[in-house]
Amino acid sequence: METFINPKSLFHLLLLPCLLLYSSIAYNSSPVEAAMHTNNWAVLVCTSRFWFNYRHMANTLSLYRTVKRLGIPDERIILMLADDMACNTRNKYPAQVFNNENHRLNLYGDNVEVDYRGYEVTVENFLRVLTGRHETAVPRSKRLLSDEGSHILLYMTGHGGDEFLKFQDSEELQSHDLADAVKQMKEKHRFKELLIMVDTCQAATLFNQLQSPGVLAIGSSMKGENSYSHHLDSDVGVSVVDRFTYYTLAFFERLNIYDNASLSSLFSSYNPSLLMSTAYYRKDLYKRRLEEVPVTNFFGSVMETIHTDAAYKALSRRNSGRFEDEMSLDQSVHHIERRMLIKVNDGYEIHDINPELLQGEEGASKCPWSTFRNKFQKAENVDSLVNYGLVAMIPLLVISTWLVQ
Amino acid sequence: MAETKEKSLSDEKPKPRVRPIVRLGIFLISHSFHVSVVCCTAGVLALFLLPVLAKNTYISENALMPGSASPMLSNQHVSDGNRLVKDLTNPNSKSSETGIESHKIIAQYMLDLGAEVSFHKFHPQMNQFHPLHFFSSPDSGKIQENYSCSSYGINTVGIIRAPRGDGKEAIVLVTPYNALKSGFGEALSLGIAYSVFSLLTQVTWLAKDIIWLVADSQYGEYAAVAAWLREYQTPKFSSLSAPNAEMCPDVNNLFELKGHSISGSKFSNSFRRAGTMAAALVLKVRDQNEQFEDTISIYAEASNGQMPNLDLINVVNYLAVHRQGLRVNVEKLWSLLNSSWLKSLGEIFESLAKVAKSLYPKWKFGIPATEYVEGTATLASSLYYQALGVPTGPHGAFRDYQVDAITLEISPKFSLDKVWRNDILLRGGRLIEGVIRSVNNLLEKFHQSFFLYLLTSPSKFVSVGVYMIAFALLIAPLPMVAASLYVDANSSSKRSKGDSSTPSAITDTDEHSIAIRSWSPTTSFMIWVLLSILSLLTLNSVLASPLACAKATQEKEWALVKSVTISSVFIGLGLMSVINFATAEIGALLMVPMCLLAQPLKLDVRAGTLRSFCRMICNLVLGHIAFPPAAFFLLKGMLDGFGNANVGDFWMWVESLWAWNSATYLFIGMVQLPCWVLCISILFHTC
Repeated sequence: METFINPKSLFHLLLLPCLLLYSSIAYNSSPVEAAMHTNNWAVLVCTSRFWFNYRHMANTLSLYRTVKRLGIPDERIILMLADDMACNTRNKYPAQVFNNENHRLNLYGDNVEVDYRGYEVTVENFLRVLTGRHETAVPRSKRLLSDEGSHILLYMTGHGGDEFLKFQDSEELQSHDLADAVKQMKEKHRFKELLIMVDTCQAATLFNQLQSPGVLAIGSSMKGENSYSHHLDSDVGVSVVDRFTYYTLAFFERLNIYDNASLSSLFSSYNPSLLMSTAYYRKDLYKRRLEEVPVTNFFGSVMETIHTDAAYKALSRRNSGRFEDEMSLDQSVHHIERRMLIKVNDGYEIHDINPELLQGEEGASKCPWSTFRNKFQKAENVDSLVNYGLVAMIPLLVISTWLVQ
Repeated sequence: MAETKEKSLSDEKPKPRVRPIVRLGIFLISHSFHVSVVCCTAGVLALFLLPVLAKNTYISENALMPGSASPMLSNQHVSDGNRLVKDLTNPNSKSSETGIESHKIIAQYMLDLGAEVSFHKFHPQMNQFHPLHFFSSPDSGKIQENYSCSSYGINTVGIIRAPRGDGKEAIVLVTPYNALKSGFGEALSLGIAYSVFSLLTQVTWLAKDIIWLVADSQYGEYAAVAAWLREYQTPKFSSLSAPNAEMCPDVNNLFELKGHSISGSKFSNSFRRAGTMAAALVLKVRDQNEQFEDTISIYAEASNGQMPNLDLINVVNYLAVHRQGLRVNVEKLWSLLNSSWLKSLGEIFESLAKVAKSLYPKWKFGIPATEYVEGTATLASSLYYQALGVPTGPHGAFRDYQVDAITLEISPKFSLDKVWRNDILLRGGRLIEGVIRSVNNLLEKFHQSFFLYLLTSPSKFVSVGVYMIAFALLIAPLPMVAASLYVDANSSSKRSKGDSSTPSAITDTDEHSIAIRSWSPTTSFMIWVLLSILSLLTLNSVLASPLACAKATQEKEWALVKSVTISSVFIGLGLMSVINFATAEIGALLMVPMCLLAQPLKLDVRAGTLRSFCRMICNLVLGHIAFPPAAFFLLKGMLDGFGNANVGDFWMWVESLWAWNSATYLFIGMVQLPCWVLCISILFHTC
């Protein structure tokens, strides 16, 4: 046995636990948990074609208007409309779309940027938008360029059924597809929190397969229920809005960008007798208490502002890509936004962080032991504590066996 | 032990095991009598149950959305329509002998609205019989030789282009109009169409072009519409036909006048087209009416029992009843409404349903007896008009080109004051507007709802899946009985063939006598009967008797003939049910009992029992009923009273079938008559 153990192998044996240690530290200090709410995105999808589905486009455009009004800029809204009702020849009011029979509000005014329209709205493109796997030629305006601090609102409307949503009268998005896409997004650190809002028949079934943490989902109806349209515009000759969306909009019309209405107040505002269906929300994947989350966290672009003495403290371009706890805490909202932009310019640099830390060059210089100690003392994470303990046991074991022999 | 036992078992059964289906077939054939009794009874019963099984209609196509838009037709448009009615009924406009003046007025009105206008002149075409053109469109290349300038009609066509549409589709509105002797009703229908037309020139929501065809009905409504459609669908590229029509001075005169008076307008001499037709509505207003309320009658049957998509009828029915408060009618056999046996049958069904409901509350299939009687009357008329194979209106011409079309006949409660006239213009116009707007929403052809159905009321229908059951039950015993007869006959003697020369003979004479046209219907009919009998007897003596002599007269020959008869009836009915279901159903009702019961009278007389006597009576009665002329007289007598029945009527009826290319004509000539002759020959068989 002795012959087998030479200094080189010993070195290797010692190095292994060290590497493991580093990696676990790197994992725990990785930005996923530490990331702060940095920006807001909205993906608004109308999946159905044809004139008689006017209301789905009106739903989506109403939501578009609302989130824009509450502060999400156009470049962070991906708007997908499967058909063009405004220019449909059957439209009595050419180039206008209304969501109410009083015709007071034209939803299809001047500042509507439709990112995916007509036959571009496919399951494939939708999943590409979510997962960020685009062909190189796809312009930036059509991409969901979110980061691990993003709050994303995903709103979908169309015709659905048990665990599927119909796209374009020809294909379907299944609940598995959606769950898979969300999982990929999580893996790729494309969001911090995700709110999925779906207005279709049997919308709740679409959330059955979701597993990723940080996802909150609300649907207009339970399994076996239909979602109904709210009212018919006898002038245009079609139903113009769905009930769930109508009451969502009614809730938001009372709000402005400074209001503190919580998500729970939104969710409890749905009256089953008015909806003629039961709004269902799934929050088991979502950690925060709904009473404490303002709706503007998803439907607007309102973030926590942190006051700092020095506005431009040592924010180098190089560091900005690597998320440091202390630094992001110090930053003001402006900085966060700017940093986001810079990071976007950096492209996929984020994903290089962990290998770098693994090599132990930079990670060590950022004094991992102190972090380790902090973590240890706080004993926040039982799992990591156990991991550290096990890792610490290995060299002891090795040394003791060596000594015994 | 076990092995040896198995071996011994297999040794005991050397012949292969008969498959279950074969065994079932053998069982059915051996019990064919009971099977046929049960099946035929069930088939007739199922037919009478159809009104009970009828389902409520529903609008199957999502895109239609009838009634979701509020009508835009206002009093302004109504007064426009009223103006046209006044101008047309003005005695000055009727001064011209050819009625050109009123066509000019209509064209001028259309032009004033900004529509594209053209005249389409046509020569009424002689009907020609195409035995196998059941569902195909008529020939285009037919150019008639003898054009005469005295007989031509002028259709006035106005087209509104959809302002933002792609011009690929169109909706057609047809108003038949006879300029020479137009009643007030026709003028009113033009008024309604004009008020809708004037509205449609202003709206922004058109996705399909609108064609308004004022069909010149002096040679019949159908002929005018059919001529226009032929021109529309199959453009003539030959240079022969065009100058022929242009040579008539009157027509040229008309065009020139138009061209000069309104130069630079949208009038054109050439034939104008729009896109493919999505649907067509034929609008008529009846002159006299005894109804107490405004009603609207829907006629849907096209040639050979083809129906327009049920959704079109649903849309009209929904809008008329729920939006305009009109009563909707479909054709009924009125005489059936008062029949007491039908009422008692309905009461039986009603009480049965009550019993069923008391047993199990979820069984709700009963309908009130009065409703049952009405449903049966409507179903019978639906079945009859489909079986006839003759279109019930100008809409039939559209069906030949696979365009869904119906005729709407508005019968207002009659009074002449202006308020009433405006009211009917407004409601009729709004109904038409609603239907057009609904069809305008359509994205594809009508395809969602049924094409094969029978109506039992304007809002109730029996679909193909249900009514086929009655027919299938009726004809199911035929092959079994044929097989069992064949087996029985073969087991006694193995050499015989059916007398198959008679069917061809009868059709020959049939076709032959069609050529005789100059006599009165009664004489023609008599001549036909005589000729048929003569040729049949001759053929029988030439072909059948020598054969019969050559063979030893066999006891079972009649059984073989019956077997052949039944097989040919089965094949004929099966084929006919594909072409025109209603004909096959009625034919099966008449022929199946006769074919199954047929047995030589001599045998029955010889037997002398009560049973054979009953059978003899039945045979004689059925033998009379199944003869097509006799069945016709019986039906006609039952419906209209026997006083008016005339021998020539049948001849006329058959001639109309011939003229309209009905497959029923072929069915009568090639299936029903030959089989009847065979049955009669069985009855009088000398055995």
